[in-house]
Amino acid sequence: MLVRFWGTRGSLPVAPTAETIRRKIVNALVSANGRQFGNEADARTFVEQELSFASGASYGGATPCVEIEAGPSYFICDMGSGLRSFGLDSLKRNAAGHSKTYNFFQSHLHWDHIMGFPFFAPAFDPDATIRIHAGHPDAEQAFRRQQEEISFPVPFEWLRADIEFVQLTPGETHEVDDMQVETILQHHSHGSYGYRFTDGNGRTVIYSTDSEHKLEKMAVEAAFIRFFREADLVICDTMYSLADSVSMKEDWGHSSNLVAVDLCHQASAKCLALFHHEPTYEDEDIQRMHEESIRYEELTRNGPPLDVICAYDGLEVRL
Amino acid sequence: MEYSLDMQDNAVIVRVDGRVDESTWEAFGAGLSDAVQQAGQSGLALVVIDLSELDYMSSRGLRVLTVAKRQADESAISISLASPNDVMREILAISRYDKLFTITDTIELKH
Repeated sequence: MLVRFWGTRGSLPVAPTAETIRRKIVNALVSANGRQFGNEADARTFVEQELSFASGASYGGATPCVEIEAGPSYFICDMGSGLRSFGLDSLKRNAAGHSKTYNFFQSHLHWDHIMGFPFFAPAFDPDATIRIHAGHPDAEQAFRRQQEEISFPVPFEWLRADIEFVQLTPGETHEVDDMQVETILQHHSHGSYGYRFTDGNGRTVIYSTDSEHKLEKMAVEAAFIRFFREADLVICDTMYSLADSVSMKEDWGHSSNLVAVDLCHQASAKCLALFHHEPTYEDEDIQRMHEESIRYEELTRNGPPLDVICAYDGLEVRL
Repeated sequence: MEYSLDMQDNAVIVRVDGRVDESTWEAFGAGLSDAVQQAGQSGLALVVIDLSELDYMSSRGLRVLTVAKRQADESAISISLASPNDVMREILAISRYDKLFTITDTIELKH
């Protein structure tokens, strides 16, 4: 199973400014300290091995879209702005013979998680099959509405692919193209759904974003620990610090890195991917959050270590 | 995890021993609630949580602190955290809870 992140930012797509790029280049040049690089390979080695991720790369700015490669058809969680890049990449794979069946799984219907669909090129392919799985009974309404003329020039009705909306039920195991799929209701405005995907080899990935773990509901977190149980990878909303999540950002529908680590520890999960990054965070802020999450895991570990990674646009994780 | 309550001068002191995690947070929460109630009934305006014997606190424990703080705020009672060890200092910083609570190196009974 391969998990590929096409969009990892929450709420709003972001892009680096000219000053941000200049600052990265300046810092890299200073770090090089006068060294000369004879070719691109040597320079790349320096960037990858001697610069921090925030200095030499970027976490990206597309909103949520995560691909799970585990069979002949496509499996994608959410249709944030990262979906556009995925769609174009899938066209190349389709030309090489890939199945044109797309299985989408929507956490919820807020704008940042559906905004990529009007730009999803395969939706115009009459030979493509698009199944949009959601816990929400009004998923189709949300998609059609965002392409009404007041909002977008291309109406939903012009899409040529075979598009089907499939409602999933929490507590049931659904089989979708040889993948076992379970869903759980999460706390978020208008509700959101987490997903548990298990392939034929028993590899399990959890997608749990836009899920607030409320102070008043700590006793029911056992349900999430069961849902996350022994997962190979848990992709979790870690948008806010714990303090922010219980104070100024309470009821904003998101979670914190510390809660995600604790849930994964309790669930004996193997790897946690920090996800749905705050759009106001610069790369340095996300990197700091990642480092702190790793340290918190070390400080509170009471069993096997949990690998804590930080999702970025373009990250691939092989399970 | 064990805790004890002690009334001193103008504060209720909560001493916590062990760790507050997924198995002990409810008992810790009950203890904090009890401390806030006792402070209110005694006309005291301060609850000090003595962390000197606390190994660490997970996010459950930290969130229980917030629940207690809300209960205390309703009665104009302050909660401060005293004598955290190095691990707790890191956790308080990582969680940004050092922005939500007054943290002192020793038990200070004036607020």
